[in-house]
Amino acid sequence: AAPGAMAAFLTHQQKVLRLYKKSLRHLESWCIHRDKYRYFACLLRDRFDKNKDVKDMVKATELLKAGEEEFWASQHPQPYVFPDSPGGTSYERYEMYKLPEWCLDFWHPSEKAMYPDYFAKREQWKKLQRESWEREIKQLQEETPAGGPRTEALPPARKEGHLPPMWWHHVTRPREQPM
Amino acid sequence: MDLLLTLNTLMLLTLATLLTPIIFPMLSDNLKNTPTTITNTVKTAFLISLLPMTIFIYSGSESLISLWEWKYIMNFKIPISLKMDFYSLTFFPIALFVSWSILQFATWYMASDPHITKFFTYLLLFLIAMLILIAANNLFILFIGWEGVGIMSFLLISWWHGRAEANTAALQAVLYNRVGDVGLILCMAWLASSMNTWEIQQLTSPHQTPTLPLLGLILAATGKSAQFGLHPWLPAAMEGPTPVSALLHSSTMVVAGIFLLIRTHPLLSTNQTALTLCLCLGALSTLFAATCALTQNDIKKIIAFSTSSQLGLMMVTIGLNLPQLAFLHISTHAFFKAMLFLCSGSIIHSLNGEQDIRKMGGLQKMLPTTTSCLTIGNLALMGTPFLAGFYSKDQIIESLSTSYLNTWALVLTLLATSFTAVYTIRMTVLVQAGFVRIPPLTPMNENNPAVTSPITRLALGSITAGFFITSYILPTKTPPMTMPMPIKLTALIVTILGIAIALELSKLTQTLILTKQTHFSNFSASLGYFNPLTHRLTSTSLLAGGQNIASHLIDLSWYKLIGPEGLASSQQTASKLATTLHSGSIKAYLSSFALSILIILTSTY
Repeated sequence: AAPGAMAAFLTHQQKVLRLYKKSLRHLESWCIHRDKYRYFACLLRDRFDKNKDVKDMVKATELLKAGEEEFWASQHPQPYVFPDSPGGTSYERYEMYKLPEWCLDFWHPSEKAMYPDYFAKREQWKKLQRESWEREIKQLQEETPAGGPRTEALPPARKEGHLPPMWWHHVTRPREQPM
Repeated sequence: MDLLLTLNTLMLLTLATLLTPIIFPMLSDNLKNTPTTITNTVKTAFLISLLPMTIFIYSGSESLISLWEWKYIMNFKIPISLKMDFYSLTFFPIALFVSWSILQFATWYMASDPHITKFFTYLLLFLIAMLILIAANNLFILFIGWEGVGIMSFLLISWWHGRAEANTAALQAVLYNRVGDVGLILCMAWLASSMNTWEIQQLTSPHQTPTLPLLGLILAATGKSAQFGLHPWLPAAMEGPTPVSALLHSSTMVVAGIFLLIRTHPLLSTNQTALTLCLCLGALSTLFAATCALTQNDIKKIIAFSTSSQLGLMMVTIGLNLPQLAFLHISTHAFFKAMLFLCSGSIIHSLNGEQDIRKMGGLQKMLPTTTSCLTIGNLALMGTPFLAGFYSKDQIIESLSTSYLNTWALVLTLLATSFTAVYTIRMTVLVQAGFVRIPPLTPMNENNPAVTSPITRLALGSITAGFFITSYILPTKTPPMTMPMPIKLTALIVTILGIAIALELSKLTQTLILTKQTHFSNFSASLGYFNPLTHRLTSTSLLAGGQNIASHLIDLSWYKLIGPEGLASSQQTASKLATTLHSGSIKAYLSSFALSILIILTSTY
């Protein structure tokens, strides 16, 4: 696998951080008022920080396992889920993003006639996408550091007349809410 | 002036007004519906329906309309008859008033929805089915309305059908209602065979009604009105948009089961077993729902469990043989419950879809009208003296305390009343009071009259409805007039106790102690473990039983053991027995000849 890509197994650091975040979220579900939450969140952070410099991996894994068990025993039965997150009340309410943009190519001509302006220009946009794809990929390959990309943000276009990388995927991204 | 003719004409005019947005678009392409036209249609129908109610109040005239008769077989005719008695004449304006307010609210709430006209048409179809159910004079027309509201409930709960949970919830609603429908059909079959009629007037019998059809009716009410045992669909139905929850699952559809029991009350009143079953079932439902509401964090679920609890209370009233009081509670409950849902919808929409009360707080200053009306609704729900809920709820608890009935039902109902106060105060404190916990930068305002006028109108109804209905309508049974002072104040004391406990618990949550999980809090938070137990046990047992029947009974036994394999194995045992005798020695064969000749000779004698 390329360096920096997601591997099949989580590292110890990733596991500890995931435990910390989910225990903070469940603590937030238990402690409704913010001052109380902040107090207990600081205590929890201190508990994690006390064992931060353990170099023995066996001991560190045992601590992690004990932490996971403590989390399981004291989790909240109805944890707070953000409305647009999976499991939330507004998740997947509108079926906007279930269809990719190439489905438009399969529309019947009578349906395409309902949006003549868009479909008149669509072929040109597709041609532009095909032509600029090689240049976008070349730019990304040159600009990515050796250990993999540090962040998910895409770089802008560097040369005159070039388009920013992955612009087609951004422009044809699905809507969140209907119009 | 012929009052009865006016009464009949105006009621039919109300129904016809509601049908116009359905029929007119079919007649011409220019007459398209919009949300505003549908809202105005319901408003007009409400204003028209006020007149028959006034006629009834001032002259006491009831009537019965028979429109057409379906001569199915010669000795069993099914007329399309509508009954304009106290129940239908009073519930029509109430249902139409509440629906008008909800539709006006929905013009703001669903404004960003691409199919808003279809939504309003669905709500209108639901309303028509509900009014058919209310006005029905025989069980056949009632069944038409019953199924109609069930179907519209399914379509409206799964309005956002992109969500898997919404589709599951709609299926749950339909299946649980279907289980209840079996009971209703059982009762209709018994009535058709023994009394040869489905009319409500002909339901009285001099001696005690057998318990089986009444069990069917109670099953129907359990399914439709979410009593304990068939209740999980009501909290799940909160997946639908808030106007749907306000109209269907608080004021109108869920009271259809109780309304059926009110209509068929003459049958129930003779059978004490059925009445006791209603009483105990209602008491259990009200306590169970109130227990589940204590630890809910979704504002719509709290109000849903509150509805379930009040429906249990209505069932308790039916069990006390007081159908008119149950109807009074239905009417007052419609006002404040619809208002609670509309207030919660206003809060949810202002917070951009946030439904969890852990992320609300301090909204009293930001949404003053909404939160004030929320407070009024909560006070009415708790039975605050002289608001709408007081007139019905207090009378129910007084009648319960002074009658010679089940102490267990009384204790459960009182406990549920105090739990009502507890979860109501918890909701109020977490939503309106205290510091703000909402995500910042939400530009919320109440400047839209489509939000404030329905809510204030329903608030006015919540305050005055109980007073007006009780002052104009005389009760048919004498309420208990004298009782000791502690008994009279029971409901009030229990509610005040609940409020005090809730305020103490709220103060406790603000101290720096982590709440421990107790068995009671886990029971309440997992909704009594009912859903996973029943949903998995019933389906696994039915499917495993079916698998056993198909594979073991039919395949293995009937097709194999009785048929070829059994025959083959019996042949095999016989031939195995016989081969031991084929030893090859002549002595054995000669002895077998001799034996058989001996047997033949001895048997012929």
